[in-house]
Amino acid sequence: MDFLNSLLVKPFADMVAAPDFLIQVLWEGIVSGVLYALIALGFVLIYKSSRIFNFAQGIMVVFAALTLVGLHEKGVPALLAVPLTLVVMFILAVGIERVVLRPLVNQPDIILFMATIGITLFLVGFGEIIFGGENKVMITEQLYIPTGSFEFEPFGGFVSIEQKDLTAVIGAGLLVIALLVFLNRSKMGRAIRALGDDHQAALSVGISLSTIWVLVWFISGIIALATGIVWGARAGVSFALEVIAFKALPVLMLGGLESVSGAIIGGLMIGILEKLFEIYWGQPLLGGNTETWFAFVFALFVLLFRPQGLFGERIIERV
Amino acid sequence: MKTLSRLGLLSAAVAMGALAGLPALAQDSVNVTNLSYRTGPFAATGTPVMNGQRDYIMMLNERDGGVNGVKIVYDECETGYNTEKGAECYEKTKGSSIVTQPWSTGITLQVLPKSNVDKIPILAPGYGFSPMAEGKTFTWAFNPPTTYWDGASMILQNIADGNLDSLKGKKIVLLHLDAPFGKEPIPLMQAYAEKHGFTLLPIPVGLKEMQNQSAQWLQIRRERPDFVVMWGWGAMNAGALTEAAKTKFPMDKFVGIWWSGSDADLKTVGEAGKGYRSISWSFPVSDSKTMQDIKTHVIDKGKSLSAPGEFDYVFYQRGVVISMFAVEAIKSAQAHFNTKVVTPEQLRWGFENLKLDDAYLAEIGFTGMVPPFSTSCANHAGHSGGWMLQWDGAKFVKSSDLLKADETMIQPLAIAEAKKYAEANAPWPTNDECKM
Repeated sequence: MDFLNSLLVKPFADMVAAPDFLIQVLWEGIVSGVLYALIALGFVLIYKSSRIFNFAQGIMVVFAALTLVGLHEKGVPALLAVPLTLVVMFILAVGIERVVLRPLVNQPDIILFMATIGITLFLVGFGEIIFGGENKVMITEQLYIPTGSFEFEPFGGFVSIEQKDLTAVIGAGLLVIALLVFLNRSKMGRAIRALGDDHQAALSVGISLSTIWVLVWFISGIIALATGIVWGARAGVSFALEVIAFKALPVLMLGGLESVSGAIIGGLMIGILEKLFEIYWGQPLLGGNTETWFAFVFALFVLLFRPQGLFGERIIERV
Repeated sequence: MKTLSRLGLLSAAVAMGALAGLPALAQDSVNVTNLSYRTGPFAATGTPVMNGQRDYIMMLNERDGGVNGVKIVYDECETGYNTEKGAECYEKTKGSSIVTQPWSTGITLQVLPKSNVDKIPILAPGYGFSPMAEGKTFTWAFNPPTTYWDGASMILQNIADGNLDSLKGKKIVLLHLDAPFGKEPIPLMQAYAEKHGFTLLPIPVGLKEMQNQSAQWLQIRRERPDFVVMWGWGAMNAGALTEAAKTKFPMDKFVGIWWSGSDADLKTVGEAGKGYRSISWSFPVSDSKTMQDIKTHVIDKGKSLSAPGEFDYVFYQRGVVISMFAVEAIKSAQAHFNTKVVTPEQLRWGFENLKLDDAYLAEIGFTGMVPPFSTSCANHAGHSGGWMLQWDGAKFVKSSDLLKADETMIQPLAIAEAKKYAEANAPWPTNDECKM
């Protein structure tokens, strides 16, 4: 009876008893969700255009953030370091296309996936040699990202919203809108989608495979830089940022690998639900740390009913 | 230029590593391999420590030509703090190295039973399984100068101002990495909680949550603890400090173990981290003779891999101290066995007979960098004690005199846990020759 009470009654009673705390939990969930969505977007873009699951997305986040901070350490002004980092990410995209992807055209998907593991290992070693493994401070203030907080006292309680987090949410939102406009309204964006739908047909109408691959890897590089700035501002820039890529996996399972809007909605759903579950059920009943598995279990549950994910395309292959 | 220099140094390190395997050099050199982690989620902790370890050995080779004419080859095998890779590194290097430095509690637990068979000493300074200090049970393992349980005891005494009964009725959160390392202090802290009447609330932080600990800190906000004790490693430390600053948790109520006291982590929060404390068995003394010699022979010559400013950091200089432990054990074994190139068995004797008193520490240029301690066949840690360090907004300063752990509380638990471990891993060889 006690167990049922703590499972079905107490969590909701706690929410009602401390609504300010619930608001804080929901806000933290939204922030986490946006951050997860950002990582997932990098995966989606590359998968959408090339059917490659890019294992290197996590290390690209690390590499982009380290380049930005590294350039600033060398004396480059922060606002100049950002475009220079984008140049580096463009060179990386060209390098990956020329050295890794182009020789592997027409190879099975698993070969291309393995190639991205190779890219990961290369970037880990290369990044360590160039930048070292020490934790570095993100140049938040130099990038004019506000660092204070807005504090409210709703229902006689206390809610704090970090300006840094608010900037991340707004910035990520703008990035997503720009991406959606680019994919749906621009010629290149439509070319990316065409290539994702059918390689042969896209090539037959003159779409250049190599140009599009460079483009999507570069856009993923831009997303990696945005992700690196946002996550780096939270806990410093180090190789640990690579681990956050794993947080995108359940988002991709839930939202579908091809859907940009799926990545956003999936990210937000997982961010909010895992936070609510951890605070109101996980910590009191299971000793906490449920965030490590909740998103996967939730995504698996959804997959039982929608194997293609919430927003993935239902593909029927006729034999 | 720095990058080219790094690449050059790396090539030289690889070449040195390759040369170390040649039989011609085996007669006048000893290999002290480090199972390092310069990459992966914990690299922020590992890198400065490894740099310090490497630079001390390099300085000795440059300044003195090694130890008593024997060159020390410092090799690294990268584990990324991954237990499986660590076990592979152990297997790969056990034939060439006279010591294993596993560098994670998980890897230490993996290689612990193997060391009995391979007869190679494990050096795990200030980490690993705390009961390893019981030398009669753990013949080949050494965790000088002090153990995690000692650290927990010192932290509790410090926050209680020396009177543990004053913690009665209080709530202490243990914010820990959800890994063997993070769970290490729980048995002792629970025993303390039962004895002195405070509530211990362990809050685990998963690997993927290290940089986004909002859920953990929401729980801390809800629980309103009197103190938060952190057992963090790598990115978890900076993540926790950022959240603590964000939630305005009073920093003077927030204390970490020695691996949660990195300058680089505190710089992430800067002034907002003022008042945060970390227990430490080492302290940076940049003008000590050893550090100045490292500056002259390694740093100024551009041979170090360390980042600018890292020289003064707690973790870099702790790495220097750690390599000193290995070197002193080699020296001790050389003198006792009247030999130059010591074997792993002889080195084990050296680790059991470390005598680092104040006078000797001054003689070798380590004044104030580590508390004096000595080991024996029964005591593989030395239980040196430590200092409470406090972040002043820009650097760590000492905020206490030398603290000592309450061994009357720890010893019975350590002996019982060592016995339990030996029984669970029977047949487990013990050192019956040790009569202490």
